[in-house]
Amino acid sequence: MILRVEGLSKSFGGLMAVHNVSFSIQRGERCAIIGPNGAGKSTLFNLLTGHLHPDGGRVYFQEEEITGLPPHRICRKRISRSFQRVNIFPMLNVFENIQVALLAVQRKSKMIFSPARKMARQETERLLENIGLQEQREVISGTLSHGDQKRLELGIALAGNPLLLLLDEPTQGMSPDETAATMALIDRITREREITLLFVEHDIGTVFALAEVIRVLHLGTFIAEGKPDEIRANDEVQRIYLGERK
Amino acid sequence: MDFSAFFMQFLSGLSQGMLMVIIASGLSLVFGTMNILNFAHGSFYMLGAYFCFAAVTLLPQISGNFWIGLILGPLAVAGIGGLIERNVLRRIYSRHLLDQLLLTYAFVLIFDDVVKMIWGIDFQSVRMPAVLSGKLDILNRSLPYYDLFLILMGPLILVGLYLLLQKTRIGRMMRATASDAEMMLALGGNVRALFNRVFILGVWLGGMGGALISPQAAISPGMAVSIIVESFIVVVIGGLGSFWGTLLGAFIFGQFNAFGILFLPRMAIIFPFVLMALVLIIRPWGLLGRPED
Amino acid sequence: MKNFVLKLLGPGPLGPVLALVFLIFLPLFIGESWVSLMVEMIALAIFATSLNILIGYGGMVSFGHAAYYGIGAYTYALLLTKAGAPFLLAMVAAPILSALGALMIGWFCVRLSHIYFSMLTLAFGQIVFAVALQWYGFTRGDNGITEIPFPPLLQSTQRFYYFALVVLALSLWGMKRIVDSPFGKTLQALRDNPLRTEFMGINVRLYSLMAFVIAGAFAGIGGALFAAFNHNVFPTFMHWGKSTEALVVTLLGGMFHFFGPSVGSILLIFLDKIVTSYLRYWSFVLGILLALMVLFFRGGFSGYVMERLNAMGAKRGEGR
Repeated sequence: MILRVEGLSKSFGGLMAVHNVSFSIQRGERCAIIGPNGAGKSTLFNLLTGHLHPDGGRVYFQEEEITGLPPHRICRKRISRSFQRVNIFPMLNVFENIQVALLAVQRKSKMIFSPARKMARQETERLLENIGLQEQREVISGTLSHGDQKRLELGIALAGNPLLLLLDEPTQGMSPDETAATMALIDRITREREITLLFVEHDIGTVFALAEVIRVLHLGTFIAEGKPDEIRANDEVQRIYLGERK
Repeated sequence: MDFSAFFMQFLSGLSQGMLMVIIASGLSLVFGTMNILNFAHGSFYMLGAYFCFAAVTLLPQISGNFWIGLILGPLAVAGIGGLIERNVLRRIYSRHLLDQLLLTYAFVLIFDDVVKMIWGIDFQSVRMPAVLSGKLDILNRSLPYYDLFLILMGPLILVGLYLLLQKTRIGRMMRATASDAEMMLALGGNVRALFNRVFILGVWLGGMGGALISPQAAISPGMAVSIIVESFIVVVIGGLGSFWGTLLGAFIFGQFNAFGILFLPRMAIIFPFVLMALVLIIRPWGLLGRPED
Repeated sequence: MKNFVLKLLGPGPLGPVLALVFLIFLPLFIGESWVSLMVEMIALAIFATSLNILIGYGGMVSFGHAAYYGIGAYTYALLLTKAGAPFLLAMVAAPILSALGALMIGWFCVRLSHIYFSMLTLAFGQIVFAVALQWYGFTRGDNGITEIPFPPLLQSTQRFYYFALVVLALSLWGMKRIVDSPFGKTLQALRDNPLRTEFMGINVRLYSLMAFVIAGAFAGIGGALFAAFNHNVFPTFMHWGKSTEALVVTLLGGMFHFFGPSVGSILLIFLDKIVTSYLRYWSFVLGILLALMVLFFRGGFSGYVMERLNAMGAKRGEGR
């Protein structure tokens, strides 16, 4: 089990956002979390990555407890995430976006007197090729299309060579073409690098195409868990979630 | 120090504080509703004083010209504020704090010279209205009537503001926008018109402060700069955007000044800043503010 | 020709080196009062560039940066007048003490962000100003410290100008290297997206504090340089008015380019001199200029120039 969550809970002023959530993920598995808006998906992610403190429960990564650790410690464990709103560095160009992340991983960020231009060039180029943005390395990232920004964000998340990747709505705001391309990219990269994937998505086609395990979150708890076919057949899920999405 | 001296200092501090309440609530109102920190607020204060002075000097024959100045001055300043909001300030609402500060600072520079162009650099003064000149004798000491007047004006205006915020439709809209401007837009609120009115009100309060102080203080271009930093201190201590916070902050500020000068005159100028720093370090959202972040 | 101009203004040393050469030969063509003005401009350029490390590169709007400029100036002045210290020692001590001040103050400030950060820097800046004003015994209060002895070997305006030029070149070179380093890139990332930066394993507060201290140190160099040239230091060196001067200069020249503040310094000092010889109302002009810049030329002078060049390059179909 690469990730094990036990009894995780979080409430905001009386509202139970996440309630006694437990699950585990195998190494290399691709797990999707779906659920209606407000089900607690982002909260769950924030709890896993240290952006929020749980009220109760524990999180284990590779059997080591990481509950309540601050974000910058958790990312060093090789857990990476993307965020719901695009999270890049808009005033830096594409190359620098990736480079700065790689420098952080290489622990070179505190160097104040050596020019950064020469550093981590090869790794940056490779990563740029991996995500298909090498032609746009000089472009100021804030001016990229939404889809390209999401790809860049994925690249930043990959800089830390993560074992576990958490993606929060990776295809949000994308056209069908962009969505397909992004999903193909995620598919390829996670397979190539043997990354365990946990992602939240609203686009059902994507979810069913990519995920091996689907968990349905509703009002802060999992109401169903299983393979895509099982979930598709699950009446309650149909009612609560898939019915809505029609 | 005996009780009567203490009480006199307290009253002196109270009158300073009540004047600051009027001025600072203008700043706080604009920040709370529009999220704009108006660096030029001190300039509107200064203009209020100058306009009152203008009224007094242009109508020397009319008795009670101070009162005319007190009413017309702030209104004129408010009018200018409204024009500035509609034509200039409106363009930068979506921008960063730095842009707002720099743009409003530009107006500080402009008004500084405008005032010099019209009235020159010498200090001006407004004669104290006869009915308020003189002193009241209490406890073997004397307190200027004008100080008492200020002590009364502060709460009076504050009550007016309170009624406006709580009882009127526009006040409700202001409070709603303060907590959620996006929601207000979604509900079809005319945020633009509201912002314009709020800014006018805020500027009016600043101008009123200036007009009120004109008989007691030396009217000069430097007024703008000294008052704006003091206003910042008051709203930070009380809590940016907090109605009661401004009252508390102004009260504390007034007392600190009054007693600080008495006990540690050399260090008195530092105290407000130390207090401001302490509040920011310990409780950044101010004594009565809410931690929004 | 266009290629040459692009090369001149792009990254790379060609532009700065040519500018330096130009500055070296400048005194041959202009009178002493202008050379004197250039020295003032150099001190301001160093000060404003240091502020831009915080604002432009770090996204931290400091309103109290003049405190470190002032600490540098007073350190220099006090060492020379009270301790009879040698010139170079005083020049080196100034940024060290400024950095120390920035460390103590910055430690509190970096815990806050946005407007609260700005307000706290303002508060501390005014506290430093007030201390300089009131601590009569040490700083001679509002009389300031006057008649600071001329450094030996630099008795003439011209000689001091060349010394200032050396200090400018070294300071700007130092700051440029810092800004181009991994630290500098990380600082910019921090400016763009502090949450994301934190999730790359970066201790955001530490990096903010480092930037604050570095900026403070270089501000101190500017202050000491000016103190040396001016022979007098006053508490107003630390007043927020001085901080806003650097802000205005940075905006005018452009806060998104390294040399923006330097360009702005030249613009301001020359505009000031030219305008005040015709008009008494320099504030008015500056205010209008500032308003126009904020509204329409947000990138400042250098931003405008770069935009026009990019437009020209694009029209010719050159590259991206």
